[in-house]
Amino acid sequence: MATEILLPRLGWTMQEGTFGEWLKRDGETVTVGDLLYTVESDKALNEVETLEDGILYIPPDAPKTGDVIPVGARLGYLLAPGESAPSGHADIAPKREPLSPQTAVLAPSEPIDATLPRVAPSQPIPAPIAKSIGKTIAPIPAISPRAQRIANELGVDWAHLRGSGSSGRIVERDVRAAFEAQTALSKTAAQTNAVEAESGLHNALPQVRRVIAARLSESAHTTAPVTLTTEVDATELVTLREQLRADTAAQDPFPTYTDLLAKLCAHALLEHPILNARFEGGTIVMGTSVHIGIATDTERGLLVPVVRDVHTKSVRQLASETRPLIERARAGKATGQELGGGTFTITNLGMFEIDAFTPIINLPECAILGVGRIVSKLIVIDGAREIAVRQMMYLSLTFDHRLVDGAPAARFLQRVKELITRPYLWLVGRE
Amino acid sequence: MREITFTAAAREGLAEEMERDPTIFVVGEGIGARGGNFGTTLGLYEKYGGMRLNDTPIAERGFVGMCCGAAMTGSRPIVDFMFADFILDAMGELLNQIAKIQYMSSGRLKMPIVLRGCIGIGNSAATHHSGSYYSIYTHIPGFRVVVPSTPYDAKGLFKTAIRSDDPVMFLEHKSLLNLKGEVPEQEYYLPFGKANVVRHGEMVTVVALGLMVHKTLEAAALLEQEGISVQVIDPRTVAPLDMDTVLESIHKTGRLLIVDESFAPCGIGAEVTAQVVSRGFDDLDAPIARLNGAHTPTPYSPTLEAAVVPNTETIAQAIRDLLKE
Repeated sequence: MATEILLPRLGWTMQEGTFGEWLKRDGETVTVGDLLYTVESDKALNEVETLEDGILYIPPDAPKTGDVIPVGARLGYLLAPGESAPSGHADIAPKREPLSPQTAVLAPSEPIDATLPRVAPSQPIPAPIAKSIGKTIAPIPAISPRAQRIANELGVDWAHLRGSGSSGRIVERDVRAAFEAQTALSKTAAQTNAVEAESGLHNALPQVRRVIAARLSESAHTTAPVTLTTEVDATELVTLREQLRADTAAQDPFPTYTDLLAKLCAHALLEHPILNARFEGGTIVMGTSVHIGIATDTERGLLVPVVRDVHTKSVRQLASETRPLIERARAGKATGQELGGGTFTITNLGMFEIDAFTPIINLPECAILGVGRIVSKLIVIDGAREIAVRQMMYLSLTFDHRLVDGAPAARFLQRVKELITRPYLWLVGRE
Repeated sequence: MREITFTAAAREGLAEEMERDPTIFVVGEGIGARGGNFGTTLGLYEKYGGMRLNDTPIAERGFVGMCCGAAMTGSRPIVDFMFADFILDAMGELLNQIAKIQYMSSGRLKMPIVLRGCIGIGNSAATHHSGSYYSIYTHIPGFRVVVPSTPYDAKGLFKTAIRSDDPVMFLEHKSLLNLKGEVPEQEYYLPFGKANVVRHGEMVTVVALGLMVHKTLEAAALLEQEGISVQVIDPRTVAPLDMDTVLESIHKTGRLLIVDESFAPCGIGAEVTAQVVSRGFDDLDAPIARLNGAHTPTPYSPTLEAAVVPNTETIAQAIRDLLKE
């Protein structure tokens, strides 16, 4: 009788591991205590020994080095002498574990490595990344029938909610809380005014404030934020904007610095997709599109309207879209759709004469770019042979160290800096 | 309104019906001059005599069989078993004749018989005097099964039972017999298959039977101080069973606990659960919970006896646990 080799739970919270390598060859005879394979979990590399004697059989579809596999997945078999390989070994589907429903429903999929290889600028996205884009191995949370019905009725997307039931199950109260948070942000000014008229200012305002408080404290408590700052020469960007402003032929509103920065960030994000990723339920989800949130100060508090598909739009298009969008947000008329779904956020405090700051990540996004004021400075340029007056600006990039390490984030910021210094680079397109 | 005991209320209903209909008679051990071990017929012997209050030897199968014949031929017998445990001695007559005769005769024969007796755990009555067994009769097509919890319900349902042309099991919890409650002077009947919402609440629905209705109300009062709002439903009859009232409540609360001192396997809680899952699945926000008496013959020792039945504290805890689900 063939003995299955299953991925054990090596720590209390372990749900999956990254397969390292086999330490024995296919067909080799092993005895109890022999080291069989390595697996990486919670940053530790473990050597796993066999608990049985037998002849190791590694099926053709066994996990390969770097594959992320759920606890309980079948890695291979130990056979008795003369025994043939079991049929129907093909799946590495996880064994159901009754006490942890979250691991039980993990669907095997292409593994997504958190530490993606850096993509060189101006190169197409390599195949493995392109393949994994839009896919997720996030566990599907359990939800009560009632909560599911109510989520459907209210139009709440429950797949990313955190359940408060004893086993992590999503119950009615979780869906209702999510719905309230959703509607609080998309209430129209008229509705807000009505609430104010009825219950007074004190009741109406803290509603949005509570949502902001909940979101930002979740971000502060769950992310591993690191802020990088750099000073950038924005003289050419200022010149570009002046030219756009001076273009009397154009009917559209001329672009703001935020529009220009959104456009060139989109360019850099496509080259550095990990900064454009979302962290959902313990997994990384990467999208092919860049949707940029613009942090907006409104009377009711901070709102983040999202400009969609920035990478496909011209600067003129962006300018004509973002102004009305921000105005709608300020007037409290933005819809829930317009206030969600971003992949990256830009927050600009330049108008308040702020240079650098430490923005808080807008979950579930990976990073946020803080933009400081543009100010004239005397700068040593051209190999220290010349002093010139340049338009200088600070950038503050906060990123989630859980998803991305310091060096790749710095490379992204460096690329943004480069694009600001020479904005014509992205004007000519990505190829 | 005046308050009388559970037994007095049922007895008053019996007296009213006997006065109205001369074909009604009572059969049982010690129900004649003695007035019944629990006072179920107290004072009636003096009024109607030994023909209508007929003392019997200890021979359940015999007198149940005779009453079956009497019901088939047009009279309305009431068999008073004292302890419902001994209904089991007449099981063959009950299941094979009394429950089936209307079907076997294509409705030409009626079976207007009431079988009453005390149920429930308490007073160190030990295992031969502590059974409830209503789920056994509920399982069999043909029976009506009544489990009243208040004097008001006892009278109204007992009168309906006597008027019924179907065989009725009328099962009275022995710990409720001396419970006093408001009972109007004027005559009234209560329908079968209509549950009573004995307490309104928002967060959890509890279905409880007999004595457990009162224990659950105590638990609900306790939990109110913790901010937990409990709706309590007393089905009053388990056959027919009013599921609409239960489902309506779950539509509001999303959570259900069934408290039944009888055994859990194949019990009323299992039946309620199955029907809720089938008809109210999308209303459920948590798994359905059951709290039952221990699945064991009832012990004699008072300490052990108390340990095998749900009480106010265990019910309150079950509700708290359910709300955490």
